[in-house]
Amino acid sequence: MIGTASVVAGLSLWQLVAASGRLDATSFPTTSRIAGAGVGLLANRPFWSALGHTAESWALGLLIATVIAIPAGLMIGSNRFLFASTRVVVEFLKPIPVVAILPLALLMFGTTIKMKLLLVAYGALWPLLIQTTYGAHDVDPVVADTARAFRLSYPRRLGFVVLPSAAPFVATGLRLAAVHAFVITIVAELVAGGQGLGLMMFMSDNALRYADTYALAFIAGLLGLSLNFVLQRLERLSLHWHSSQRIEG
Amino acid sequence: MKGRRRALAIEIWLPVSLLVIWWFATKNGSFLEFPPVRLIFERFREEYFFGRFSSDVLPSLVHLALGYGIAATLGVAGGLVIATVPWAEAAASPYVHFFRALPPPAIVPISIILLGLGVTMKTSIIVLGAVWPILLNTIDGVRGLDGTLLETARACQLGRRYRLTHVIAPGAAPQIMTGLRSGLQISILLMAVSEMVASTNGIGYLLLLSQQQFLIADLWAGMIYLGLLGYLLNALFNVGERVVLKWHFGARVGGAL
Repeated sequence: MIGTASVVAGLSLWQLVAASGRLDATSFPTTSRIAGAGVGLLANRPFWSALGHTAESWALGLLIATVIAIPAGLMIGSNRFLFASTRVVVEFLKPIPVVAILPLALLMFGTTIKMKLLLVAYGALWPLLIQTTYGAHDVDPVVADTARAFRLSYPRRLGFVVLPSAAPFVATGLRLAAVHAFVITIVAELVAGGQGLGLMMFMSDNALRYADTYALAFIAGLLGLSLNFVLQRLERLSLHWHSSQRIEG
Repeated sequence: MKGRRRALAIEIWLPVSLLVIWWFATKNGSFLEFPPVRLIFERFREEYFFGRFSSDVLPSLVHLALGYGIAATLGVAGGLVIATVPWAEAAASPYVHFFRALPPPAIVPISIILLGLGVTMKTSIIVLGAVWPILLNTIDGVRGLDGTLLETARACQLGRRYRLTHVIAPGAAPQIMTGLRSGLQISILLMAVSEMVASTNGIGYLLLLSQQQFLIADLWAGMIYLGLLGYLLNALFNVGERVVLKWHFGARVGGAL
């Protein structure tokens, strides 16, 4: 109740301030003009094709990161030698901001989707790898020994014993990676000029169509919100079988 | 002793071999994108410690420190106030969640529209991006506090100010630190992004400039500089966190006795 009222109040205040003419009308458009610009965007093809480009790089980059990070994380986490060997490298590479490698990606691939994928996959890799490693580290030793006593092959042990046990960590890692991948996709478009919503935002800014810029930022926020919502739901739904989600009777 | 040496060997064999491979694979300069390591470090020393230090490195660090400092102050103080005033939390929560979900770089074009190109814009971008995770985590941290603890503090007739600084803030500290860490990462990202998109100086500007002029060794030097900056600030943060939370855990153990 209070939440809705507060949103309505905020938007009306914006409208009143912008319409009062105290501020420059081009750089601070009214909410109604921004909403109009938003509707105009949604009705046109360029927006949907930009959204498609953004979604494509996000999904493919996340997929590449998943294919690398989950098996690697399971192996590293369940093996003490690998864990100790890779610790320094992971600890060093993890806090490096993705924008640091952006110019290199741009140099190697230009403004192509390959450039975006390199950045998105690199950025999404670390949260997923680290969470999966923690999860695989946590496997019940009795379960691990039992699987070995039954002579399950290494890939099977990873897939059917370590992975299910690490699932909650993997799910958290996936959620973090998915959000991070979205942010990096926008960076790769806004800064490096890859096709997509970020580039559209940059172009509307340059073309002085400021209402479009505001509308696009608003849409990006809504996309981020729905992404968070869907991921949290999925996490809860897909883990109902795991002991961490079960309520003891 | 022998065991410890063995453990150390296991820890460092991989990073050392990676560095050696990097050194020898690029030694002849046969790959355009991967210049010799020696050359990179030469450029690194000349550009980032001497030539560009006061013109580009220092301004970036000042924007970062200012922006992050303001975001941390606003986020923690605002979060404590919002979480302890019942209606304020309901009123603020749609905004906090929206801006937390908005990809931080999306703020950049709007800040340029409103604030132009300058120090104010670059600092404001950092504040506007980093404040939300700090605010959100502070609110969540206060909300997650044990109800009995708060009621005990009230029953002991502790004043509102005293409760805030001695009961609520320390209790929420672990989660506040989580928010501050993610705010720091966003700050570094936005510092570089704002300089890449709209600036004529700074680390981000230098990086894109060397890419456009095909000064590959300079580009690598900049990448390593930005990477080291991220690494060192994170390490510094870890030290700070240990200091803050050590006191917190110590207080909790004492309280339990």
